[in-house]
Amino acid sequence: MKVGFIGLGLMGRPMALHLEKAGHELHLWARRPESLAPFAAVNAKTHASPAEVAKHAEVVIVMVADAPDVEAVCLGADGLASGSKSGLIVVDMSTINPNAARSIGLRLASMGIEFVDAPVSGGETGAINAALTVMAGGKAAAFEKVKPLLEKMGKSVTLIGDSGAGQVAKACNQILTGVGVLAVAEAFNFATKSGVDAGKVREALLGGFAYSKILENHGQRMLDRNFKPGFKAWMHQKDLRIVMEEAHRMGLMLPSAAATAQVFNAIVGSGMGENDSISALMLLEKMSTPE
Amino acid sequence: MRVGFVGFGAMGRPMAEHLLRAGHALSVWSRRPESAAALVAQGAQWRASPAEVARNAEIVCTNVTGSADVEGLAFGPQGLAQGFAAGSLHVDFSTIAPSAARRIAARYAADGIDFVDAPVSGGSAGAQAATLAIMWGGKSALATRLQPVFEVLGKGIVHVGATGAGQVAKACNQMVMVAAIEAAAEAARLAAASGIDFAKVRAAMLHGSAGSRVLEVFGGRMAAREFAPGVEARLHHKDYALLLDEATRLGAPLPVSAAVGQQLNALMSLGWGRDDTSSLLRVLEAGDQRDSAR
Repeated sequence: MKVGFIGLGLMGRPMALHLEKAGHELHLWARRPESLAPFAAVNAKTHASPAEVAKHAEVVIVMVADAPDVEAVCLGADGLASGSKSGLIVVDMSTINPNAARSIGLRLASMGIEFVDAPVSGGETGAINAALTVMAGGKAAAFEKVKPLLEKMGKSVTLIGDSGAGQVAKACNQILTGVGVLAVAEAFNFATKSGVDAGKVREALLGGFAYSKILENHGQRMLDRNFKPGFKAWMHQKDLRIVMEEAHRMGLMLPSAAATAQVFNAIVGSGMGENDSISALMLLEKMSTPE
Repeated sequence: MRVGFVGFGAMGRPMAEHLLRAGHALSVWSRRPESAAALVAQGAQWRASPAEVARNAEIVCTNVTGSADVEGLAFGPQGLAQGFAAGSLHVDFSTIAPSAARRIAARYAADGIDFVDAPVSGGSAGAQAATLAIMWGGKSALATRLQPVFEVLGKGIVHVGATGAGQVAKACNQMVMVAAIEAAAEAARLAAASGIDFAKVRAAMLHGSAGSRVLEVFGGRMAAREFAPGVEARLHHKDYALLLDEATRLGAPLPVSAAVGQQLNALMSLGWGRDDTSSLLRVLEAGDQRDSAR
């Protein structure tokens, strides 16, 4: 298939390469030309604008930072919409506000373009290993057409519901992972300050009801004091901002997520935004009596 | 002085009346003309657009709801910017994002027009009694030009700093005030759950270290179960979106404000957005199935 790909960052690059390896013809555009370098030796054509990509592709995948970026790529000057043939499917794998996704989807639909929101969980490792979890929202027919592509990048690919539903699922994912990482950091700091080995606590808890992948994986990285990303704290802060904006819009009470978002504000404000989210532990340590 | 005014809500109307009574030549415009009718009857001059208001005033005051409303009034079609002569002054009393105030000021500056953010605190009662606290941000040299307007509207007038500083002060004001309302509501809930009359608890507290204006006013409404506004809770809810957004942008943790923001979300969901913010008490009761809750 002729597949467009826009957004060749930490996540996007390995994802696009998986599609090429599976035999698809890539059509690329990048804001920064150096992002195209890893594709010089593979079956990929580069273009001067998103509009040009849309002219040559049946499906375009977008993987950028936030809603304004998705909007610019899709609907801006020389955006996908201005170059598309009818029947084009745009799959947005970025994490953005669900309401923004619905609005972009509606505007594209009015021009005969299908829009599927398909954010992912699993981070850079998941992208490299083609082991992402993909949560999709949109029309079933469009989803079925792009599902084989999504399966080349992810292990679990699920249509959650209508347009925006993928972003809602991703927001739920970020509530659970954000609150979860902070809970593990709090438990470990509590153990350490009580004079107890956090590693032993982790080991014991893994066999019980407090077991979680976060306790297992993030917990181990906390013990190793390996704060390299992984998933950068500022991105988690951004995702929690989306969650809290939606809670405000709907008048929904999310007390734990709200408290967690403030801790992420503190992590970013204290200069640890480029570190992994598990830097929550370092923040708690800085706010406790030194040993 | 020739003064313009746009935005005649619960706050704006009494403020405009004070300016008129102080002898200023007042030009007014409103999206819904009927909301300016009372002022026109008292001698204010109706103008056909914000631009016409700006053409006939040295200072234009606005008091509307959100950042987008202020930007629309200033730069929309037939907006203030089209009517202002260089050297004019726009004073905005609305509560908006500090970043929006800075953006508006920068856009005006290109045409030599000054912008001052001057949010107020004190509610409609303070507006009527001309006892508002006015916290303003902008060039300090503008103070003498602002004085004739400010002095007929409020008592505590503080120049906080450069453009946007007034809005930062207002955000701080809202954080401290609404957190205190939530604290009063929680005290009322604890008293009621203990089978104790909150009115007595409040009376006792007012004379101690926990005594505060909020406990007096909002605590009084809670004790009387009088939830008519006052301040409509939806406006505080709106302000919390602004200040929590600033906290995210700045990387500044505000744990209590974030928690209070969630109580306000619940309040909106329960349908009390147009009631007084003392309804935060009813949010706490809504989660309680016991008969003693009410």
